[in-house]
Amino acid sequence: PEETVTSSFASFIHAVRPEHLSKTVRHRSKRMILDSIGVGLVGSTTHVFDIALQYCRELYSSGAVSSVYGKPGIKLSPTLAAFTNGVATHSMDFDDTWHPATHPSGAVLPALLAASQMLPPSTKPNGMDFLLAFNVGLEVQGRLMHFSTEAHDIPKRFHPPSVVGTMGSAAATAKLLSLSTAQCAHALGIAASLAGAPMANAATQAKPLHIGNATRLGFEAALLAARGMEANPLILDDIPGCSGFSVFYSVYQPKPLSTPSDHHEFLLEKQDIAFKRFPAHLGMHWVVDAALSVRNLFINYAGSFCPSLIRTIVLKIPVSKYINRPFPSSEHQARHSFQFNACAALLDGEVGLSSFTESNIQRQELRELLDKVVVEHPEDNVANFDKMYGEVALLLHSGDVLTGKCDTFYGHWRKPLSKESLLKKFRANASHVLPEEKIETIITMVDNLENLSDSSQL
Amino acid sequence: TITGNFANVIHGLNANHLTDQVIQRSKRMILDTLGVGLLGTSTEVCHKVTQYSKIYSSNISSTIWGHLDFRLPPLYAAFVNGVAVHSMDFDDTWHPATHPSGAVLPAVIALSEALPQKQKFSGLDLLLAFNVGIEVQGRLLRFSSEARNIPKRFHPPTVVGTMGSAAACAKLLALDQMKCKNALAIAASYAGAPLANAATQTKPLHVGNAAKHGLEAACLASQGLQGNKQILDMESGIGAFYTDYNPQTLPTLQSYPWLLDQQDVAIKRFPAHLGTHWVADAASSVRRKLVESSDNLLPLDKIEKVILKVPEVKYVNRPSPTSEHEARHSFQFVACSALLDGSMSVQSFASEKVHRPALRELLCKTHLEHPPDNTPSFESLYCEVSVVLRDGNMISDRCDTFYGHWRKPLEKEDLEKKFQSNASSVLPAEAIEGIIETVYNLEKVEDCSVL
Repeated sequence: PEETVTSSFASFIHAVRPEHLSKTVRHRSKRMILDSIGVGLVGSTTHVFDIALQYCRELYSSGAVSSVYGKPGIKLSPTLAAFTNGVATHSMDFDDTWHPATHPSGAVLPALLAASQMLPPSTKPNGMDFLLAFNVGLEVQGRLMHFSTEAHDIPKRFHPPSVVGTMGSAAATAKLLSLSTAQCAHALGIAASLAGAPMANAATQAKPLHIGNATRLGFEAALLAARGMEANPLILDDIPGCSGFSVFYSVYQPKPLSTPSDHHEFLLEKQDIAFKRFPAHLGMHWVVDAALSVRNLFINYAGSFCPSLIRTIVLKIPVSKYINRPFPSSEHQARHSFQFNACAALLDGEVGLSSFTESNIQRQELRELLDKVVVEHPEDNVANFDKMYGEVALLLHSGDVLTGKCDTFYGHWRKPLSKESLLKKFRANASHVLPEEKIETIITMVDNLENLSDSSQL
Repeated sequence: TITGNFANVIHGLNANHLTDQVIQRSKRMILDTLGVGLLGTSTEVCHKVTQYSKIYSSNISSTIWGHLDFRLPPLYAAFVNGVAVHSMDFDDTWHPATHPSGAVLPAVIALSEALPQKQKFSGLDLLLAFNVGIEVQGRLLRFSSEARNIPKRFHPPTVVGTMGSAAACAKLLALDQMKCKNALAIAASYAGAPLANAATQTKPLHVGNAAKHGLEAACLASQGLQGNKQILDMESGIGAFYTDYNPQTLPTLQSYPWLLDQQDVAIKRFPAHLGTHWVADAASSVRRKLVESSDNLLPLDKIEKVILKVPEVKYVNRPSPTSEHEARHSFQFVACSALLDGSMSVQSFASEKVHRPALRELLCKTHLEHPPDNTPSFESLYCEVSVVLRDGNMISDRCDTFYGHWRKPLEKEDLEKKFQSNASSVLPAEAIEGIIETVYNLEKVEDCSVL
C-alpha cells in the first residue's frame, strides 16, 4: 500500500530520535527556546495576559458546577460541561439539521444549560430568558449562513457547525449573560478566531467534537468578552486584503440585521428544522424512505424479501463525497453512507439505533447486498437539503424493475415530525439513561419553558 | 457596520419579539436535542471526552511562567503561557511565515510538568519534541504557495501552529504511529482563525489557543479518540485552509534534513510586527544622517514629508493607531517612533509614547508607497525611508535585511540581553542566569521540569 502524506507524518513523529538532531539544529532551537521564554516572561506583565489568567483561574477554582447529560453524580466546570454535552449531542449524528445546512441546537443548548447553572441564584435566568437566548443563537447562525451562496449546498470545505455554530453559541451566551452591545461584538470577534474545522473529520469519531467545541468555544468567547477582552469590531464585515469571518467562504456578501423594533422576523419562523428519525446523516433519510417504499413493492411482488432475486440496486443520489461510501467499516462511516443505509432499510424494513452496531454493520447478508449496489448522480439531483431526492431501483434477475422515490422524508421541514413522533423519539432516547418520571418531568418542563422561573432546573 | 449592527440586535431583542410559532418550534428542538444528548452519553466518543474533561477536577497542574504562587491545569497553563508569548508580538517569526515557538513551547513545558512523577523527561526529550513541533509546521507551510507571502486570510499560527503543538505533544507522550495520526486529525478540527483579529487584543489568543488545542488533541488521541486518517491529504482536510494545496511526503529518517537547518528564524528586537523591523532600521539610519547634518538635534520643524516605501500589507498599514496593539501593526508608527527616538524598544509602545504630540504631528506627514518590486514576503521585502525637508533636500536610506532577520541573526550577547531585559520584569537575577544556563545545556539536563 502506498504511503499517504498523513502516515508519513505520523511515522516521522513516532520514529525520529535525538540522534537525528544536527548540531546546527540544536544550536538554533536552543536560541529559540531561550528567546521564547524571555518573551513569555515579559508578556506576563501585560493587560491581555491578566485577562486570560483571571479567566482561567476562575474556571479552575469555581470548580465543578455544571451537569453532564446522563451522569447525575458528575459535575464539571461550565465550559467543559458544555463541551462534553455538545459532543454527546452530535455523537451519533442524531441531532437536528437546518437549511442552509448546519446542526443548530447542539451548538447552542449545551452552553446555555451550563451557563445557567453557573450563574448565582439571585441572577438565574428564567425560562423565557433561556428560550430567548436560545433563539438568538439560532438566528445568528441562520443569518450568517445567508451571507454566502456556498452555504445553501451540502458543505465541502468547512463543517458548518464549527463555523456558524461557534458564533451562535457566543451570541446566545452573550445574550443570557446580558452583555453590553460592545461586549457582544467582541464575543463574536473572539469566537471567529475559534471557528472553523475542515470536513475531512466528518464520518470519523472526531466529528462530534465539532459541535462540542462550537458550543464550548463560543461560550468561552462570551466569557472572555465579559471580562473585557477585545477583538476586531469589523469581524463580520468584508474587508478586502484582511479576512475576518469571510475567510470561511469563497463568496461572502454580508448584510446587516434589521434592528428589532417591535417586529423582528426570526428565520426559524420561515424555515423550520428537520429532525432525524434514526441516527445518521440527513441525506440518508431520503434514501431510506425510498428504500422502504420499494421494499414494500418488492414484498408485494415476490411474497417476501428475497435478496437472491435482486441483480442490481441502483441508487440515484446527489454528488457528495463524504456520504458516498460503498463499504463502510465503522459506525461513523456507516452513518455517512448512502449505500449502507439503503441496504439496511431493504434488509430490515426499518433503520434505527441498532442498525449501526458493529455486528449489524458486518453482517454477511448486508455485505452481499452492498455488493450489488451501483450509484448514479442524475444532474437534477442537487446536493442541497432543500432540493435533493433519493431514488432506489431494484433491477431483478427476471428483468423487472421496481423503483421507490422520496422527495421529502418524514421529519424533513416540509413534512415535520408530529408531536407524538417527536415525543416517541425523546422517550426512546432518554430511557437509556433516565427513569420514567424524570423523562416526563423534562417533557413537561420544556413544554412550559416560558413559565419556568429558574431555567437551571432544566 | 455589519458587526456593530449584529451586536445591537443581540443586545436589543427581548421576549416580546418571539412569536407563537417560533416558540413552539424551538421548544421541539430543545426537547429533541436533550433526548439526543442523553442517548449520546452512552457512546464511546462521549466516554472518552468525559474521562478527558475530568482531568480538570484532579490535582494535575502546571505552572505559569514567572508565577510560582499558583498552578493551573496543563491545558490552561499552555493557553496562558502561549498568550503571554504572543501578547506583545515579540516572539520569533519563520519563513514561510508563522510564529513557530509560541505554539509549541508552552504546550510541551506544561505537559512535562503535568505527567506523573515516574515519567520524568530529560532536556533532550524536550528538545526533540520541540523540534518535531517546529518541523511539522514548516513542512505544512510548504504545501501551499499561498504560505510564502504575508498572510491575508488565516493567521498561520492558528493553522500550522495547532498542528505543530499536537505533533510535539504526541512526541513527548510517545504515542504510537496510529495515535500520532489521530492527534493530527483531531488538531485540524481546532485549527484556523481569521486574520482580522490581528492588531487587536485577541491576537495573542491565537498562539495561546494553538498551544492549548494541540495539547488537547494529543491528549484525546492518547485516550483513543480517532479522526480522519488522511487529514493532511485531503482538500477537505487541512487543505480547506488554502486555495492551493499540494501535500508531499516527508523525507526518510536517515540523516533527516530538518527545515530549521536550512532556514533559521528571525528574532525580534522590539515588540511589533516583523514587517516594521525593516522600517525601524531604515528610519534609525536616516535619523543618524539627519542629526549629523544639524548639530545633533532632530530638526522636526524642518521636516516636510516622510515617505515609506513598503510592500502592500493591509493589516500593518495604519496611519493613525490608537492602541498599543494597533501601534505594533503600523509601518507609519514605527517609522516615526524610530525617527524621534533613534531606536525602538519595549517602552516605545507605552500609551504616553503612542499619544505624544510630536509623534502625532510626524504621523500626519507620513505617506506610504508600494513599489511593485516590493513583494509582501518576509524573505524578499525591503523598506526605504525618505525624509523630505522644507528646503527641498531629501535624506533616505534603505534596509534590505534588518538585524535579527535570519540572514543577519542576533549575536549571542544580544539574544541574551533581550532575554535578561524581558525576564527581569518578573524574575530575580539568579533565576535568570539559571534559565540561560539550563537552556544552553538542555540536552544534558536529566529532568527538564527544572526549567
